[in-house]
Amino acid sequence: MAPDLVRRLREETAARIAAHTDELTALDQAIGDGDHGFNMKRGFEAIAAAAEDLDALALGPALQKAGMTLVMKVGGASGPLYGSFLMAWGKAMTGDPPTREDFAASLAEGVAAVKKRGRSEAGEKTMLDVLVPVLDAITQAQGDPIAAARQAAKDGLETTRDMKATKGRASFLGERSIGHIDPGARSSALLVETVCDVLEENP
Amino acid sequence: MSDAAQTQGEDSFVHGEAVVRDPTGLHARPAVKLTKLAKSFEAKVEIRGGGNGPWINAKSPNAVMKMKAGFGETLGVRASGAQAHDAVAALVGLIERNFDG
Amino acid sequence: MTDCVAIVIVSHSPEVAKGAADMVREMVGEEVRVAYCGGNSEGGLGTDVGAIQAAIRKVMGPKGVAVLVDLGGAETNSEMAIELMADELLGEVVLCDAPIVEGAVMAATEASGGASLDAVRSTAEEFLS
Repeated sequence: MAPDLVRRLREETAARIAAHTDELTALDQAIGDGDHGFNMKRGFEAIAAAAEDLDALALGPALQKAGMTLVMKVGGASGPLYGSFLMAWGKAMTGDPPTREDFAASLAEGVAAVKKRGRSEAGEKTMLDVLVPVLDAITQAQGDPIAAARQAAKDGLETTRDMKATKGRASFLGERSIGHIDPGARSSALLVETVCDVLEENP
Repeated sequence: MSDAAQTQGEDSFVHGEAVVRDPTGLHARPAVKLTKLAKSFEAKVEIRGGGNGPWINAKSPNAVMKMKAGFGETLGVRASGAQAHDAVAALVGLIERNFDG
Repeated sequence: MTDCVAIVIVSHSPEVAKGAADMVREMVGEEVRVAYCGGNSEGGLGTDVGAIQAAIRKVMGPKGVAVLVDLGGAETNSEMAIELMADELLGEVVLCDAPIVEGAVMAATEASGGASLDAVRSTAEEFLS
């Protein structure tokens, strides 16, 4: 794994989230309280700014530190959710660089942490509707795991459109949440795409 | 244990009465005051509204607030166990003073 | 007094948090320690894990702390704050499933009599039952 992987992830995720802040805001205004875009932007800007702390670390510890940054900076429910995800993922990632098996097994710990923190499962119109299929795709992929992850993120995101929210602020809308994709699933899909892009250029 | 009243029967209770003088009734702030005062006694302390309503625990802020005792309503106060007399006198005094202090 | 359970109020809005804390102080008195926080790290609506931790540290005593929260993120962030500081805490911290203002007043009233953390939480949670 390329030595500047942490730096690339740090910069690219922040840039991608910044480029889509307005989109996330609009999605969240439709079914939430409209703060998801700015909360994510603030969190990933803080990660991007932590260059000195992060870039010298192996991927696992860097993910943990980035997760803690999100927890402390985001301010909405997405802070503890994404924060727990990255902290648990990074903590479980033992290899440096991680093998494909290590990557998948540790990612599973991260996804489990999101379920625990949100007391939620896939199918409830949340970020888990992207993360769970992506994890499954990586774990089960016969061919290229990156391509499988991309497709799973895209398909998973789309499944949230017809779901009725039962978790988070969107659940107040009940039936009226149907027809909108979930902002948390959208931000997860953006992050998955970005990680795939970075991994493809840094094999 | 200054009181003789140690048994659990109705007769073991010390009784008192007071009228709610606040035009808005036993609203939130007085209810908290009454509960706090009741809690300062070891005795079991109960109150009831409307002369013969159900006895409720005077140490439970939820129960006292939900009683919604109104202006002019006579509240019954009773206590049993240690300091029962003091408890009744203190609660009656508080209600009579219109929860002033 | 440190022999009462302390109360922490966590709202998305600093004004709501302060207002709820003021109500507790005025209605219940000074003997129950109350801390509050509201707003994200930039001062907008939201909650801030660091600020929640600071509020808990400020009032923590051996009898523990009951935390009252408003909507969604306040609860998630409070859980996160408590988990992250588990090793340093002197007493237990619990989240109460109760309306923030009413729950805070009920919890503090119960706490003022020296009740246990469990009793304080039950009294706060009883409000809507």
